[in-house]
Amino acid sequence: MDVDYPPQAEDFRRRVRAFLSEQLPAGWAGMGALPEKEREQFREQWRRTLAEHQMLAVSWPKEYGGAGLSLVEQVVLAEEFALAGAPQGSENDTFGIGMLGNTLIHLGTEEQKQRYLPKILSGEQRWCQGYSEPDAGSDLAGIRTSAVLDGGEWVINGQKTWTSAGHLADHIFVLARTNPDAPKHRGITFLLVPMDQPGVEVRPIRNMAGYSLFNEVFLTDARTGAGEVVGAVDDGWRTAMALLGFERGVTATTDAIRFRAELDRLFALARERGVTSDARIRDRLAWCHSRVEVMRFRGLQALTRSLSGQPPGPESAISKIIWSEYAQAYTELAMEILGAEALAPTGQATGGLLQMPEAGTENSPLSWVETFLAARAGTIYAGSSQVQRNIIGEVLLGLPKEPRLDSGPFRELTRKRG
Amino acid sequence: MHFAYDTDQDDFRSSLRRFLADKAPLSAVRTAAESERGYDADLWKQMSTQLGLPGLHLPEEHGGSGTGLLEPAIVMEETGRALTASPYAACLLASLAVLRYGTSEAQAELLPGIAAGDTIATLAMTEPASAAGVAGLRTTALSRGDDVTLTGVKTLVEHGHTADVLLVSATGGDGGTRLYVVRGDAAGLTRTRLQALDLTRPVAEVRLDATPAVPLGEVADLAPLVDLWCTLLAAEMVGGTAACLDMAVAYAKDRHQFNRPIGSFQAVKHRCAEMLVALDGARAAAQYAAFAADQAFTSGQDGPELETVAPLAKAEASEAYTFAAGWTIQVLGGIGFTWEQDAHLYFRRAWADSALLGTPAAQRARLADRLGL
Repeated sequence: MDVDYPPQAEDFRRRVRAFLSEQLPAGWAGMGALPEKEREQFREQWRRTLAEHQMLAVSWPKEYGGAGLSLVEQVVLAEEFALAGAPQGSENDTFGIGMLGNTLIHLGTEEQKQRYLPKILSGEQRWCQGYSEPDAGSDLAGIRTSAVLDGGEWVINGQKTWTSAGHLADHIFVLARTNPDAPKHRGITFLLVPMDQPGVEVRPIRNMAGYSLFNEVFLTDARTGAGEVVGAVDDGWRTAMALLGFERGVTATTDAIRFRAELDRLFALARERGVTSDARIRDRLAWCHSRVEVMRFRGLQALTRSLSGQPPGPESAISKIIWSEYAQAYTELAMEILGAEALAPTGQATGGLLQMPEAGTENSPLSWVETFLAARAGTIYAGSSQVQRNIIGEVLLGLPKEPRLDSGPFRELTRKRG
Repeated sequence: MHFAYDTDQDDFRSSLRRFLADKAPLSAVRTAAESERGYDADLWKQMSTQLGLPGLHLPEEHGGSGTGLLEPAIVMEETGRALTASPYAACLLASLAVLRYGTSEAQAELLPGIAAGDTIATLAMTEPASAAGVAGLRTTALSRGDDVTLTGVKTLVEHGHTADVLLVSATGGDGGTRLYVVRGDAAGLTRTRLQALDLTRPVAEVRLDATPAVPLGEVADLAPLVDLWCTLLAAEMVGGTAACLDMAVAYAKDRHQFNRPIGSFQAVKHRCAEMLVALDGARAAAQYAAFAADQAFTSGQDGPELETVAPLAKAEASEAYTFAAGWTIQVLGGIGFTWEQDAHLYFRRAWADSALLGTPAAQRARLADRLGL
């Protein structure tokens, strides 16, 4: 057993460190230390720097403008960026590069690759994801947005929701029902849709922490070309699932790094408030340390599996449960440490966050309250804890599925729904 | 980077698992545990001579095979899974103490017998008021010339009622703590098997009244030994947790109510999923602790890591095991509450292991100290 990275990975780590120390501004302490109005400007400029140095689409093959990095190099890169508190791209890159780009490389036509990949990489196109709908959350295959061919174009009608960074995007990949007479998983098509048209309207949703990070997207006779299909018509479920596979990616060892930085903040908070001699607080802090260590150990296991050629599989459901439940637990502990201070919290705000504040954010009561509020989302998005437990139970433990009430043509299901 | 057991170790695990399933199913475990000795001497003979388990990690010069600590961690996990009634864990910990603290004479005297399975050795550290038997000891050593006698009470001594050799922690006249070698037939030694929560591992109270003893070695910090013990217990508990999950899942697939397998109900399925989540985390922690212990053992140098990883792994494994053992009984329903069903054997072991050397809360208190909180 050993936990050392291969020598070539350590060489690469030195290169990444050198890059970061050369390119990040002097005295860099993380995005959170920048004034809020400078962050967007920095992000844009930083993205250009990453693109110039082939540090953006690190998993893409070189022929498509990527860095063609091996898996362990991607991991090292993600680790070093996390340690430095440096963003790996823009919010839309998660969807454009991480999800759609990887999907096109594996399932797209050559023409699609040539047309889309360079524009995703240059930032000319900013993508978002049109999956969930008001009536299709955990039951994603229950989507009702329809797409019908009309004069060489798909005409799309429906409503998407929880579309992260949708307000910053100009393109959306959409799951649409193209054959309501087929069973629900078999009549869906994966479409690429420009948003700069009258039939697409984006409305922000304000989350319970007070920030607007995701949106509703209304599609009213929105149009896209007949050829803008990834995978086959009516076979979009397969494409949709392949894309979610890329979402799992290389986070194996970075969860522990990011939560370690948060735990350092929490320890500092506890020390500042003078509560580290309280037996219950000590117990919970030691527990938090244990959980972050478990993430580190599991990351090493996942990396070992990846290096031996095994792709990330359903065990990522376990990771999702561990980090999302931990995120609630450690922020609840922060609330306990703050006590009445949390009731009218002061200091720097986070500026909105999905998981945790940007590196360099002041260790303020307000940042903790916002992180605490945001943590409720983690057990819901990207597959709720209940969905993850179904996956763990059925796929990893082989327990029988529940009797299904949604077989047969989709059209009849919607009729039953009344 | 290979944070996993290697192929040889996996093969070793599989063959040991088959051996235990074949020679020591739970029905045999019950019979052995109920016997006066508390284990099956024939099985122990096979484990020793055929498989060479007690000597795996011992140097070849003392009759061992010279592996590191990963192989013993595998044995702990598999015997924990099978609830094997054997003095393996007792002998393992005692031999690690001899290796770490013993003079070369003590090693030459004790280790070959342990490696061969002929000497049953055990640690006698825990006292009624000192869970780890390191700090706050009441057992004292009195020296007169070269003769040493011990006086005090030790409890929860594994296989203490039958062990040939007991390694007893005590405080000497100089105020220093060390381990002493006490023979099972020494004068002034009273050993009583206790009626134990854990039915498959016999424990004894050991009273020493001016009992002759020989120092194992110099005065030394016994805390690293407790860390090793916690590490190996974590491995054992991971094995037990896995056995519980297997039992619950098999039953949930088979048992029908309302004309469907109960495992198809989310109320049952999600509990099983939570058991796997707990097991997976505990396994990762126990594996890392074993790795850190093995690094220290094979290099002969204590790293700083085991100090925090050992109590962490013990706490994680304890909570996974008690959670899984409790929910296994619930999934099994009424049958799980019967004496005949095996679930309670695991439930008992889970809670006994969990409290041994300190509960999860006590482990986290140690961890917090060591993190500088």
